[in-house]
Amino acid sequence: MKANWAGGVFLKQMGVRLANAGYAFRRLQSGRFITYLITIMTGLISIDAHAVPAFARQTGQNCLACHAGGQFPELTPYGRMFKLTAYSIGERTVPLAMMAVMGSTNVKGPAATGPGHTATDGTLTFNTGSLFVAGKITDKSGVFAQLTYDNYGGDTGASGHVASDNADFRYADRLISNGSDLIYGFTLNNNPGVQDVWGSTPAWGYGVVPISTGTGVATNPIFHGALGSQVVGAGAYLYWNKMVYAEVSAYRTGDGVFSFLTQGNGGQTVIKGENPYLRLALTREWGAHNVMLGYSYFDVRQYPDPTLPATDHYRDNTIDLQYQYLLDPHTFTATLTRTNETVDYGAPGSLQDTVNAFRAKASYTYKAQYGTSLSYFNVSNSSNNAASLSGNMFASQTGTEGWTPEIYWMPVQNIRTGVQYTMFSKVDGVSTGAVDTYNGKASGANQVVFYIWGAY
Amino acid sequence: MKKIAIGLVLASMTMVAGCTTTESSRNLNDPSVSGKDLAQQVCSTCHGVDGNSTNPTFPKLASQQSEYIISQLKVFRSHDRSDPAGSQYMWGIARHLTDAQITELATYFNQQKMIPDQVEHANADLVAKGKLIFNNGVPAQNTPACASCHGANGEGNSSFPRIAGQHADYIEKQLGVFKDTDGRPDGAVMKVITYDITPSEVRAVAAYLSVSS
Repeated sequence: MKANWAGGVFLKQMGVRLANAGYAFRRLQSGRFITYLITIMTGLISIDAHAVPAFARQTGQNCLACHAGGQFPELTPYGRMFKLTAYSIGERTVPLAMMAVMGSTNVKGPAATGPGHTATDGTLTFNTGSLFVAGKITDKSGVFAQLTYDNYGGDTGASGHVASDNADFRYADRLISNGSDLIYGFTLNNNPGVQDVWGSTPAWGYGVVPISTGTGVATNPIFHGALGSQVVGAGAYLYWNKMVYAEVSAYRTGDGVFSFLTQGNGGQTVIKGENPYLRLALTREWGAHNVMLGYSYFDVRQYPDPTLPATDHYRDNTIDLQYQYLLDPHTFTATLTRTNETVDYGAPGSLQDTVNAFRAKASYTYKAQYGTSLSYFNVSNSSNNAASLSGNMFASQTGTEGWTPEIYWMPVQNIRTGVQYTMFSKVDGVSTGAVDTYNGKASGANQVVFYIWGAY
Repeated sequence: MKKIAIGLVLASMTMVAGCTTTESSRNLNDPSVSGKDLAQQVCSTCHGVDGNSTNPTFPKLASQQSEYIISQLKVFRSHDRSDPAGSQYMWGIARHLTDAQITELATYFNQQKMIPDQVEHANADLVAKGKLIFNNGVPAQNTPACASCHGANGEGNSSFPRIAGQHADYIEKQLGVFKDTDGRPDGAVMKVITYDITPSEVRAVAAYLSVSS
């Protein structure tokens, strides 16, 4: 599955992966581990420090110009403007970049009892590799597109395949004078929210590597990644005086001429017609601080069975907040995102369901090298149709909650290594007693992730 | 019908993309783009369209001495200025600027009006201490008065930059660069001046300058 730095977090799919990632980290021999680490770090550090991904080559700037503290995916105000102006600052260069992620995961509970717990056996494993086409096309247009090779196929272990990942084609112009500043632009992308620049939409918000923490198998709102690389959307946006951002987009099934944006991602999810996505954000900068308060609305009708005319109707209302402090050597970013989803099913006689997702993340980076982050998630849903329905409808009452602390280190700007630990306080609605999947308690789902990320 | 609609959106995007003009170009490797356009389309993102940056990571360029802006852009371009923040942000921006564009950029920002911090937000004691150092230096440490080179009001003169109204955090950081690194060889004279100055004295001078105009 995807690489987060450039890709959206497809939480449902990732959740399956995470639930599956039950292997014996404790069996990993320390000597072997250290040997792996030294070998890999030596190899990565030997990369020319000036050799940075495509956008950095285009602008000639360090990653930290666009990414807060040099850490992805959080963008600085400059990085947001770079994206809003269609990736067109700088000069046209070869618009190619690469990325690779290695990782190792361990789940606390007994792997054998979890659903599909086969995972990768505690060894440090090549996880994903991505090829980016990213850069300025004309004076006012540019592209960010990603093709990802996934070396790990979940239940079946290593079973690599290539798939289209996030893509965002843009055109933008900026009308600016001492009195006013108006950016207007257009985006064509394949993941609702991936075009956003504040990192608080689910597409960019949480987890930085493909094996990052998630909510397990909990039901998430459809806006939280379920349509990533399944649909295509076109939209228009305005950003006025660095105060007001407004966007109107419409998404449809990513088939036909747009199927290149959805290739390799399993069965095609089919949605009905054009489905609206609206986004409004208010922003303000003062001194080293900047803040965004936002709202988004996503309304989508999906065919649970494409051979039948009935559609399930999802309406997602999301409010989000981002605060950022940027003044060398300190970088701090915090985001809050809450989505409320209402689902009306196409199946006759079914009742309305709701899904609520709350996520928060704070990260601090010192000298663009040493960092820590803390994430919180709480996802729950009603189960009005639990007794008789399946498929897209909810099988049971769920409520999954947990925390993820992380530490990371970036020895040079295009290498990052880190450790995350996810602590579940609730899984599938219960904390203790009846969670047989995880040895009788939610903490059985706890997991540790070690990763090494590199880009060139 | 739907395919036609999306096709039209794509076609119009392509058409608009083709209609490019240098007036709003963000191309840093096109000599035909004027310095003013680059200032507005690119530099403004960090330094403010009127040269009054918001975040103190980035210096205010409004009312800055043209000669000073020219000299700094040229040393960024030649990599002779290598303090970390300068190289991380400015080497790439300046790498293909022409001399004409650099001159136009300097003229543009010189003509903007500097907006200092508001006095009521400053620490009065700190400002008073900073004013004393600015005007008199620190004789006991043989630190000369800032005013002797930067002007009675910190307005600068030719290659001596304007420092009045600058962000306090930026001044503090740059004095540290002069003092502790050789990343700004053209400012070698400042290394001597800042050698004995204490952190509290630096803070005081920076506080005073941030509210002065």
